[in-house]
Formats: sequence, C-alpha cells, structure tokens
Amino acid sequence: MKKIIFVGLVICLLGIGTGFGFGQVENPSDLKFPPLKFEPPDPKVFRTQLANGLRAYIQEDHSLPLVDLSAIIGFGNLYVPKDKAGLGSLMSETLIKGGTKTKEGSVIEERVEFLGGSLSFFVSERTSALSLSVLSKDLNEGLDIFFDVLMNAEFRGDALKLGQARLIEQLRQANDQPSVVLAREYSRLLYGDHPLTWDPTRKTYEGITVADLKAVHSEYFFPKNIILTASGDFNKAQLKTKINRLIAGWKNRSLVLPILSKQFPQFEPGVYFIQKAINQGYISLGHLGIEDTNPDYFAVQVMNFILGGGSFTSRITSKVRSDEGLSYNQGSRFTYTWGFPGVFSGYVQTKSATVGYAISLILKELERIRKEPVADEEMETAINYYLESFSDNFQSPQVTMANFAMLEIQGKPMDYYKTYRDKIKAVTKEKVMEVATKYIHPEKIAIMVVGDWEPCNKGSDKLPGGLDQFGKVHRVNLRDPMTGEEIK
Amino acid sequence: MKRAFMAITVFLALTSIILAAEVTLNVKEHVLGNGMKILMLQKPGMPRVVCHVYYKVGSINERPGITGIAHLHEHMMFKGTKMMGVTDFEADAAIDRKIDELMDKIYREKYWKADGGDKEKIAQWQKDVDELVKDEKKYIIKDQLWELYMKNGGTGLNASTSNEVTGYYVTLPSNKVELQMLLESDRMMNAYFREFYSEKDVVMEERRLSENRPGFLFSEQVIAAFYAASPYRWQVIGWMDDLRRITKKDMEEFHNTYYVPNNAVVIYVGDIDFANIIAMAEKYFGRVPKGPDLEPIRTHEPAQHSEKRLYGEGPAPTSLQMMFHTPPDGHPDTAPLSVLADVLGSGAGGFRGRAGAGSGRLYKILVKEKEMAVTISAFSRPQWYVGAFQFNAVPRLDKGVTPEDLEKEIWAEVEKIKKDGVTPDEIQKARNRSEAMFLRSLQSPMGLASRVGRAELNRGWKALLQDLDDLKKVTNDDIKRVAAKYFVRDNSLTAVYIRKMGR
Repeated sequence: MKKIIFVGLVICLLGIGTGFGFGQVENPSDLKFPPLKFEPPDPKVFRTQLANGLRAYIQEDHSLPLVDLSAIIGFGNLYVPKDKAGLGSLMSETLIKGGTKTKEGSVIEERVEFLGGSLSFFVSERTSALSLSVLSKDLNEGLDIFFDVLMNAEFRGDALKLGQARLIEQLRQANDQPSVVLAREYSRLLYGDHPLTWDPTRKTYEGITVADLKAVHSEYFFPKNIILTASGDFNKAQLKTKINRLIAGWKNRSLVLPILSKQFPQFEPGVYFIQKAINQGYISLGHLGIEDTNPDYFAVQVMNFILGGGSFTSRITSKVRSDEGLSYNQGSRFTYTWGFPGVFSGYVQTKSATVGYAISLILKELERIRKEPVADEEMETAINYYLESFSDNFQSPQVTMANFAMLEIQGKPMDYYKTYRDKIKAVTKEKVMEVATKYIHPEKIAIMVVGDWEPCNKGSDKLPGGLDQFGKVHRVNLRDPMTGEEIK
Repeated sequence: MKRAFMAITVFLALTSIILAAEVTLNVKEHVLGNGMKILMLQKPGMPRVVCHVYYKVGSINERPGITGIAHLHEHMMFKGTKMMGVTDFEADAAIDRKIDELMDKIYREKYWKADGGDKEKIAQWQKDVDELVKDEKKYIIKDQLWELYMKNGGTGLNASTSNEVTGYYVTLPSNKVELQMLLESDRMMNAYFREFYSEKDVVMEERRLSENRPGFLFSEQVIAAFYAASPYRWQVIGWMDDLRRITKKDMEEFHNTYYVPNNAVVIYVGDIDFANIIAMAEKYFGRVPKGPDLEPIRTHEPAQHSEKRLYGEGPAPTSLQMMFHTPPDGHPDTAPLSVLADVLGSGAGGFRGRAGAGSGRLYKILVKEKEMAVTISAFSRPQWYVGAFQFNAVPRLDKGVTPEDLEKEIWAEVEKIKKDGVTPDEIQKARNRSEAMFLRSLQSPMGLASRVGRAELNRGWKALLQDLDDLKKVTNDDIKRVAAKYFVRDNSLTAVYIRKMGR
C-alpha cells in the first residue's frame, strides 16, 4: 500500500497527468495505444526548378548546423560498353581525385577534409551520385567546390593511373568471399552475358583512357540529366540564388541512352555447384523475378514477407533457423533492378552436412505458399508491419529528399507514397496465393551452392543422399578475375 | 508476484545542455529507484521513437570456458519469458527440465570423458531429447516478441553484443513506446531460455560464417596474441569448444548477474514527451528488482616487455597490421592519440576498397607518391579497459612491395613525428573533422541513441562532449610525447599475412 502511494506522490509532484490514468499492463494484448495519424510529406512542396532545367528537392532543417547536398546523375554502369567494363569504378575513383580545370584533386580533397566535410562520388547501375556534407558555416565554399567538380571535372592522368593500379590490385580479391562469389555467379547464370553481369578485368581497366572519362562526363553531366537534393541548415531562397549563379553557364545537350536488351537466357534447372574449401555451403535458389513497376508488386511484398522476408516472423526463418538450428542467416527475397526483372531467391548458409536438408526445407516452403492459403495472423502481421512502419520512409529530410528524387528520376508516379498504404491494405489472402503461384516456379529453379563438394554432397542423417536429388548437378568453374578466363 | 517488489524511488530528473564549441546535446536523465537510468532526447519531425536498451555486459565479462556466452545470451533473450512465447508455462517448463537433465547427461558423457564417452548411450539420450523437443513445440509460440514488434511497425529491430555492451533495439511509432517498456522489462526479469540447444547450433553456424570470411581466423589469432591477459583477447563470438559446452545453468547464472536494472540504461530518441516516458518507465522498468552491485573487470593488460610478431597465410589479401597498446578511454593521452591517428591515416582506408579523400600523411606518401600501398589506414581505439593503436596496409604486389617494406615506411614516418611532431594545420584539421563527424553522428536518431547510450555506461554521456573539448587542448608537444611513449617495439605486435589460395 505504502509503496503505491509513494509512486503516486512522485508523479503528482511532477505534475504528470499523462500515463497516470492507466496502470501497468501485464499482457501485450491488453495494451491500448492512443491514435496516431500520419500523412506522408508531399513531394510538390519540396520540388524546385533551378537554372537551365536543373531539378531539385530542397528542405530546410535547422536542427543541426549541417548541410547535405547530392546530385543524382542519369549515368550508370549499365551504359558502359563491355570492353570498357569497370569504367564506372574508375570514374568513382577519379571524378574528385582527378581535379577540375582550375584545381588539383589533392587541393580539393585537402580543403574539404580541413573543413571537416565529406565529398564522395559513386556510380551505380543507372545513376551516379556526387554527395557533399559540410558545416553550414562553410556552405558557400562547399557549393563552389561541389559545382566545380560536377561541372568541370578534368580527370588528370596521374589520378587515372593510380586508380587503375589500385583497382587491378583489388581484382585479386574477387574470388575470396564465398558470399561475393555466390552473388556474382548466380547473377551471371540468371542474366547471362549482359551489362548487368559484365565484370572488369585487368585488360578493360587498362584500356580506359582520360578521353573515355571525359567523354562520359560531357555526355551525361548536364543540368537536365541531374536531380539535386539539399537538406539542412540554410535559407532555401538564398541557396537557390547561389546555385543558379554557379550554374548559369552550364549548357544542356541531347542524350540518347544505349538500348539495353531485356532478353535473358533460359538456364537449365538443377544444381550449380562451385567448389570452395570451406565448412559451410552458401546457397541461393531461385530464378528471375519481377520489376517493381509491376502492379502485383505490393502483393509480392506481402507474400514474400510471410515466406521469408519478414525475418523471424517468416516461415523460412522459423523453420530453418528457429526449429532446426541449421543456420544463422536464411530467408527469401525479391530484389528489384530498375528497368529489368529482379531476382527471386531463397537463401541460406549452413554447415556442409546439412546443405541438402536446408535446401529441402526451403523448397517445401515454396510449395506450401503456392498451394495453401496463408493464415489470417500471418496476413495481419505482414500488412500491419508495412502500414505501421511506413513513416520510416521519411526518417530524415535527407532520406525524404532522396526518395522523392529517385521517384522522379525513375519515372514512377509522384503519388507513390500517398497511395502506398492503400495498395498494401488491398492485398488479400487470395491475392497472396495468386502471386505466389504466378511468380514462384519450383520446377524452373537453379540451386547454386558455394562449398566443399564431398561433405555437401554426402548429406547427413536428416537427409542423406547426393545433391542430384534436386536435379542435374552442374559444376561451375570460377574465372580468373585478372583475365576473365575460366580456371580449369 | 511481479508487483511485489518496489524499492524506494529515488527521483532525479534534470535537463542538461553542455556546450562544446557549437555542439550541444540536450539529454534528459531520470534514475529509477532500482538504479536503472532513463535517457531521453527529443527529435521532433516524424512520429517515431528509437527505443534502445543497453546492458553493461559483453565478452569482457566472460572467462575461459564460457567465452561467447554474452552473445549467445543476447540470442536467448528472443526465446521468450514466463509470459511470452508460451501457451502453458508450467507444462512447457516441465518438459524443458527433462530436456536439461538429459542434455546434462550427454554433456558429461561427451565432454567430461577423454574418449568422448559411450556413443550408444549418447545416441539414445539424444533420441529422447529429440522426442521431448517435438513434444514441447505445442506449447511454444514462435518468436512472439519479434512478431509483436513487427506487427506494431517496429523497425531497426535487432540486438548486438560487443566486448563491453549488449544492446536491444527497436524503433516504434510514437504512440507505441509502452509496448517496448512492457516487453523489455518483462525479458529483463522473466527471461526463460526455451530452445536453448538449437539456438546454440544457430550461434555455431554464425561462428562458421565468420570462419569462412577470409582473414577472420588470422585476425582472431592476432587479437589473442596481442592481449596476453585482458579478456579482450577472445572474440565476441567465442571459441567453438566453449560454444559447444556452455550449459543452461551457465546461461541462467549469467543472466541473473548482469541483466539487472542497476546494470542497464534505456534511451528514447524521437517525438516524445518526457513526463509521459518517465511515468511509463516508473511503472514498467521500476518493477524490476535491483541486483547486487557489479565489480569492474579485474584483469588489465600487463606491460608487454617484448616485441611480438605473427606470420600467417590464407585466402585473404596480403597485408600488414601493426598494433600498439595504448591507455583506455578517458586517459589524458586519448586526445593526442586520436589526433595522431587522423594526421597519419585520415581517409586512406576507404569505403568498399575505394580510396577515401586522401589527405592523411600515409596515404599521400605510400599510396600516392611512392605507389607502395593499395590502402593504408591508422586507427586509435580507446576501449573501456585497454586501448589499441593500429595500422592496416595492403601492399602493391604489382610493384613487388612486401608487407615488411610497408612496415619500414610506417616506422620511418612514426620516427619523424617523434622528432618533429605535426603541423598546426594538421592538428586543426583533426579537430574540425572530429567535431563535424560528431555532429553528423547526431543526424540519425539511431546513431544518436547508440552513442549516448553506450557512453553513459562507461564514463557517462557527458564524456562525449568532454572528449571533443579535450581535442581542442592538444599541442604538438603532446603529439611528440605520446608518439615516443607508445610507438616502441616492446609495446607492439606486427602481423604479416600472405595470400595463399585454398587451405
């Protein structure tokens, strides 16, 4: 009695009203949460047009004396011809280090570091991004540097030479990590000989010249092919004025993007084994998936959450990890590649003896989700997860601006976030089974394993017998990363 | 039962604003009667709250025989409580006790006997265990805590164990913080370790994943050789032999010792109302009984008195590592060592193997001018009980450079610094970078929670600002002094690793 009074007293002293009306709940099902309404921010509010058609998403945020700026450029590795594979990596290495028309790269880097800033450039599949972070007191100087690099990159020869040497040295590591080998070879099997799978070699790196880098820069780096994002401690109107002055003389040009094939080879279903003397098998099993512009995208997300995407609440994790203790990391995923079907795969890494058993358990789950309706509780968890975690898409102004810029650059509807929750809510149990049947095809699956052949093929008491019980076994030879030639 | 305990509530709530240059940190503190500390930071904007619980326990609290238990325990904390994850607690516990008895027999036979024991007996007991495990399933609700968090929009859902700290993380919609209070206080006091033996298998698979990461086995040996006595010598994942032999009883003892409110801090960052959080914390965490006081780690690292060298071969890139013992976090030499690491190694490691902005001395000389290294970096790591200063470098094999060549070059640079120190510009740059990096770490609510929460468990969160302030006072004489004091061969370990494909 005394104790309860004492606690009450403390709360009264503090004048806390909230939280006192209800007691401590014993069971989670008894919790009552106050309502919470959340509407996503509207991209239109942040969208701005700068000089020469440069588009931007800008948000002021004065909580810290920092500014973040990014230019997302419509250039990526997929636009590079096969004999220049690796050009994107070299560009990442040299855009800043190669300096500008008026400044050495080392001078730029030295200055940015002295200011405690960061400036980086990275090329991805269809876009690349130059990103700057500076204290707001250094914003003017930061903007000068940022646009000088973006507009006037000079790719000096010494930076190229050093970049080539370092990247070639790093090729030696290409076959070291079992996870890296698996991801690369699985992608190669599914997409075949395609820009998505072209890897650099010593020869392609050495063949790339200053002229190649400059050509890409002049071809792709112009205002209308770029979207800018800015967030942080600045005045939006002043920022726009300053940027407009910096880019006043920046010319546009016309650009025709290379046509990329959407034809992919039909591989033979079965087991694809890559030998590596390790004590586990690293496994991916699946086939090509869908594009994220597919109207079934939302239903596929919910279905995959239940199958193997929702970590511990998913079936594959529950069975393979929690019930059987076979693995630390397992599940299923649909990955998305802008403009191409992505990949569907189940995955697991398990000790060699249980490779076959783990594969069999995942295959069973693929069959089950295609043939039996999912449970109401599973639907509830999956749908609520997407609805209740939705505001996480806007966790910082920087992330929000980047999300909006990506929608626009990918040509997705600008009301994507506004309609997102309704589309998730519309997914039904029937729809889940429909998309499982439509997009998961166990009879067409490639099972790729990186591991030690003998113990993997021997199996265990749980499931003896060879891996050929899952189909024809193909042995895949790795390639020498320096030459790209198969290692016999 | 659960409400029976209520210690005298010592109430303390203060808002602290401390300035280090323009850097401010607005943390509200509240201490419960049982000693548990509640930290709060408002970060308005989105209606979400980062909720992290940190316990002052990690692999340094282990001993030979139970290495890896802090991390295994972190896994077990997801396996339910007396309330969660079970339909009928008593019925489930009865089966669980039988499993434990059988497993105890198996362990004694298998691990206590030099010849591995009677295989037939073990097989029979294991069969009985398998039957009981099957039987128990009808009472188990799988991963109920995880599912509740997910269903309520939990993101960033995870837990992690380091040498010093174990953390449990979730980010929830701002109207659902009470769920975290209920679930976390419940598992602090009512944890029940179901499916213990299969979870040990999971952790052994996790260790195998590490073993298959090229270079892991070598760096495990490097750390073990670097520390002769300190419990930092084993990895958080632990030795495989210990993982196999750890018992349920070990686990319960570990839990009861360290998972007490006076050994924990909980931090909330986001769209919160302080009074509301405090009231809920009083109710939920306030009901957990205080535990006995905990003694700090006894064994510090003795002086080395001899140079150590280690050579290894394996399937990872040829490389050089040089390590030096330095004092722990909070020592007056920490700031000059941090400046020194920045001057020597800044930006030269690089993300995904790319060169960073290379304005550090070693990058300029060894990567750029002499073209001897692919990457080179320097770090100063002041941990809670022991510190380490480390150089990592990958040589240019195409130029015939060896790890030993790089070792000579690094020593030459270090000797120069002992004699002449560094430039005022370099010191200023290191300060600017530290301050800016600190500010950036405050941008993400999760990063903020992690930095403040972890710091609180060692020297208090205000130490973060103290450290920034200390950097401002570093002089060139300090740099020369610490270089001369710590960069000596008798205080070093040099590890040379050569790539050799296959095993």
